[in-house]
Amino acid sequence: MEALAVSLVNAVPLLAGVPLWTVTLLLMVMVAAVILVFALTFEGVGSLVLRKVAGDIQARIGPNRVGPNGMLQFLADGVKLVLKEDIIPANADRLLFKLAPYFVFVGSFAAFVVVPFGVGLIAADLNIGIYYVMAVTSLVVIGVLLAGWASNNKWALLGGMRAAAQIVSYEIPVGMALIPAVLIAGSLSLQDIVRSQGGLLGIFGWNLFHNPFTFFSFFLYFTAAQAETNQTPFDLPEAESELVSGYNVEYSGIRFGLFFLAEFGDMFIVAALATACFLGGWNVPFFNAGTLPWIWGSLLSLGVFLGKAFTMVLIMMWVRWTLPRLRVDQLMRMAWKYLVPLTFVNLLGVSLWLLVFKGKGIPGMIASLFG
Amino acid sequence: MGLKAYLNDIVEAVVTTAKGMRITARYGVDPKEEVTLQYPEERWEIPEGYRGFLHNDIKTCISCSMCVKVCPVDCISLEAVRGADKKMVLASYDINIGRCMYCGLCVEVCPPKSLKHTAGYEMASESRGELILHFIAEDAGEVKARVARQVAEAAAKAEAAKAEDQAAAKAAEVPSSGTKPAEEKKPE
Repeated sequence: MEALAVSLVNAVPLLAGVPLWTVTLLLMVMVAAVILVFALTFEGVGSLVLRKVAGDIQARIGPNRVGPNGMLQFLADGVKLVLKEDIIPANADRLLFKLAPYFVFVGSFAAFVVVPFGVGLIAADLNIGIYYVMAVTSLVVIGVLLAGWASNNKWALLGGMRAAAQIVSYEIPVGMALIPAVLIAGSLSLQDIVRSQGGLLGIFGWNLFHNPFTFFSFFLYFTAAQAETNQTPFDLPEAESELVSGYNVEYSGIRFGLFFLAEFGDMFIVAALATACFLGGWNVPFFNAGTLPWIWGSLLSLGVFLGKAFTMVLIMMWVRWTLPRLRVDQLMRMAWKYLVPLTFVNLLGVSLWLLVFKGKGIPGMIASLFG
Repeated sequence: MGLKAYLNDIVEAVVTTAKGMRITARYGVDPKEEVTLQYPEERWEIPEGYRGFLHNDIKTCISCSMCVKVCPVDCISLEAVRGADKKMVLASYDINIGRCMYCGLCVEVCPPKSLKHTAGYEMASESRGELILHFIAEDAGEVKARVARQVAEAAAKAEAAKAEDQAAAKAAEVPSSGTKPAEEKKPE
């Protein structure tokens, strides 16, 4: 961010007298605002698309009253969430009750910082990118647990406890399934990981096709990540049919809205990480977007990245409306008896592959056969 | 659990998920699968023999009160008085449609087939009192008073006719009784 500020000060003579830290701070606020606006728009449109997809899959129509063909439904929902009364139960722990939604919201949104949207489009290219995402999304556990505890409601508490057990369990397979991408790139930075999948191989440069183990680890990651972010086949913390609405049952108005937004934020983060780590990120096939002028290269790579990420989101919705909810014991069994061993075996496989074949993937080897 | 069962579980999970997702994808892509009917704009076709709201055609009703007796939930109430022509005249005929369970027994039992189910199924009201259907617009007391008056008139007329009859026993002119029922039917 500071380098950007320096270049901005050099480019615009008017800013010469302004102290550098002011420009840096302003830039930071602007970038944060842009990302927030993107995230909120995604969540609005995402909720509409989710409901439309649900309608299609369940042989219904979905929302079609607000605006042309129901297009403005998300605005109506948003206005409703903002305007509704914010109720705090009499016996709730008021401080924790108010605090909980922010933990969940921040945990979900802070991860947007390292999402590599395009060639130069990343809020902060941290050298510990993936580690940061894993760490910061763990904040959600605290928020959900607090929400469940502070509500002083048995359903909410059950939901919160389930969420804690679930998120902590699934963090292990998620991390283990992402490590192959880190091993191949040799870096935790998401930009480096995306760059390692570029080159002349096109879509076969993706980590997905690097070797059989990375292929499996993509699916393992996708499954485990859905569970980690409480998406529907694994949405035990808010299982409507058992826990009414789970940890957020006592929340209303804008505080409920924050939980709702965080859920969609998580959805995008999962899709974005899957895209960046396995599906080539913003790499345009057979073409180096970095050679274009900055604006066009950024726009092109942004389009490619968002296209892939939104496709992943659609697939998540598709899964969501297909599979029934698991039982708690099934969920835990799936984490500890299936996903954890499988991801460890997978990680071992990838490491051996990289050791034996000196870091080359199958497409790379085939390409080198033909010179 | 052996290794074979373990691997089988994994394969089964993958295969069943794929199968389910294929089905939902078919539903998601095919617009013909939509079964929603946009109710206020579109409506279902009412099938024959549909048991909607009850309607009593009071012109043909004979006030036999069979429907009142047969109704399992006592939602029909009826008051009738004997008119001047010895026929029953309905004073009130109310159906509490909020209590009706649409069993159709009253319709089956109705001798002149004046009580019928209509195709109506849409009704909303702000109080339970509005759910009582009144088939006679007039107040029951008024009807009773009027009928009583007519009966009295008819009786008086009959008395007068009789007296006249006796007075002019030989006279050929006999008051026709056929005119009286016509008079009494008029108020209905």
